[in-house]
Amino acid sequence: MGLAKWFKTSFPVDNEALVEMSSEPIPNHLKKWWWALGGTPLYMFIVQVITGLLLVFYYEPNVEEAYNSISRITNELPYGWLIRSIHKWSANIMIASVILHMMRVFFTQTYRKPRELNWMFGVTLFLLTLIFGFSGYSLIYEQMSYWAMKVGTEIAGATPFIGDWMASFIKGGEDIGQHTLTRMHIFHVMILPLAMVALIGLHVYLIRALGVSDLRFKDEERVEKKTFPFWPDHATTELVMVALIMFVLIALALLFPVHMGERANPNVTPIHIKPEWYFYPVFRWLKLTNLFWGVLGPMIFIGILYLWPFIDRFFEKIAPKKDLAFWIGVIGSLILTGFFFWEIVGH
Amino acid sequence: MKRKEFFSSLFAFVPLVLGFLGISKISVDFLNPETGNAKIRKIFAISLEDINIGESRNMTDLKGKEFLLIRTGEKKVKALSTTCTHLGCTVYWQQDKNRFYCPCHQGVFNPDGEVVSGPPPKKLNSYDTEIIGNNVYIYLKDKEA
Ligand code: HEM
Ligand code: FES
Repeated sequence: MGLAKWFKTSFPVDNEALVEMSSEPIPNHLKKWWWALGGTPLYMFIVQVITGLLLVFYYEPNVEEAYNSISRITNELPYGWLIRSIHKWSANIMIASVILHMMRVFFTQTYRKPRELNWMFGVTLFLLTLIFGFSGYSLIYEQMSYWAMKVGTEIAGATPFIGDWMASFIKGGEDIGQHTLTRMHIFHVMILPLAMVALIGLHVYLIRALGVSDLRFKDEERVEKKTFPFWPDHATTELVMVALIMFVLIALALLFPVHMGERANPNVTPIHIKPEWYFYPVFRWLKLTNLFWGVLGPMIFIGILYLWPFIDRFFEKIAPKKDLAFWIGVIGSLILTGFFFWEIVGH
Repeated sequence: MKRKEFFSSLFAFVPLVLGFLGISKISVDFLNPETGNAKIRKIFAISLEDINIGESRNMTDLKGKEFLLIRTGEKKVKALSTTCTHLGCTVYWQQDKNRFYCPCHQGVFNPDGEVVSGPPPKKLNSYDTEIIGNNVYIYLKDKEA
């Protein structure tokens, strides 16, 4: 018995099912580049898993050694700086592409029936991505990351009703310390990745089960064929996209490698303090409002995001064909972008 | 549903749900042990001979957190926390502007620790103090066990 045959009997694969599964017809508009935005966070996540696994070999999750171990990765280990830089830039691209993907879904209104639930899975993925960023940043235990962790846990603590419980759950005690770092570490390398894989699975399953929304654009009206097969056509587009992103990612990591900040000092907040860019709008908002609204505002925002497909349906009922969703989206994006730039230039 | 099926699903699901609730409760308690049972200790801080009226000293509590001890009168001292009441950053004393300034969201406090502007919800916390003879004592929370 030949090896191929042996393998076939030991590991039976239904070829026809495979072909059928992979040649799923895809609407033409997916040739437009912004439909590849959903794929980008997925590739970035894979990059994160690989680089993250490498980093975990040397990172030491304890308050005395965390900073030293990262310094060692950055300055001493072969290619350590590169692996760290790719992990960092890939995180940034992941977050940016999740935001853009979300805007694409929002403005094409493809969260509408029957995709409400998948939109909600999507919002959860967005939050997971942000928590990924937050917990990863905390691990460095440098000044900025220490104080980000401090402010972050205090925000959780100021949540109405469950605040105290949440804060002590995150901190693992009354103050930030070893327990907090341990928790951030476990979340970052264990719980969040598992949750992410599970949710991406659900997200992609629903995309397949419900199909990608069939939209018609003006320039497509005269085209006869309305779909093209996933394999090999769309897969090729995606692969080109992957190559492109990889190129950008490596260029960014080479041109702007990460550095070490100052070691964490629990007694001195740096006089110029900023969170990572994706928290700029929240940070500006906290400066503008009192504690109550400062904390409640972002939570209400998240609540609206979750319920948006239903809010949109309601708007469509009371004011049909007025494009309320579109204008709310435009105004919301403008406000957030405004806060973002205000935080860049202001202090 | 037949009676037999009803009972067999009852026997299957009730223990499952109870087990799930039990495990959740155990896990949550395990991850959130009681804290805040730390003792309050009265500790000698400084002698009045070593600090003039209007002067202040940087001190460290039992958890290593810095605070300010200020002598405000003949037999009066004040121990002010430098942790911002908004979201926990450390405030700076700015001599030239005679104020405490928090760099995180631009909270401003006056020398007594009261909020002047910005998002902080209440005045800076203070520690209880006691003067016995010439000795200043402060009440500090011990480290958690
Ligand atoms: C880790 C994060 C995410 C991954 C890996 C991901 C992946 C994908 C992929 C591959 C698609 C296919 C179409 C496209 O690429 O545009 C898609 C569609 C979709 N995504 Fe995501 N996504 C993520 C986050 C989100 C977020 C944050 C939202 C919204 C809050 C969201 C909502 C949706 C919806 C509703 C669809 C269906 C759109 C349609 O049918 O046209 N996703 N996602
Ligand atoms: S933490 Fe001091 S103003 Fe926000």
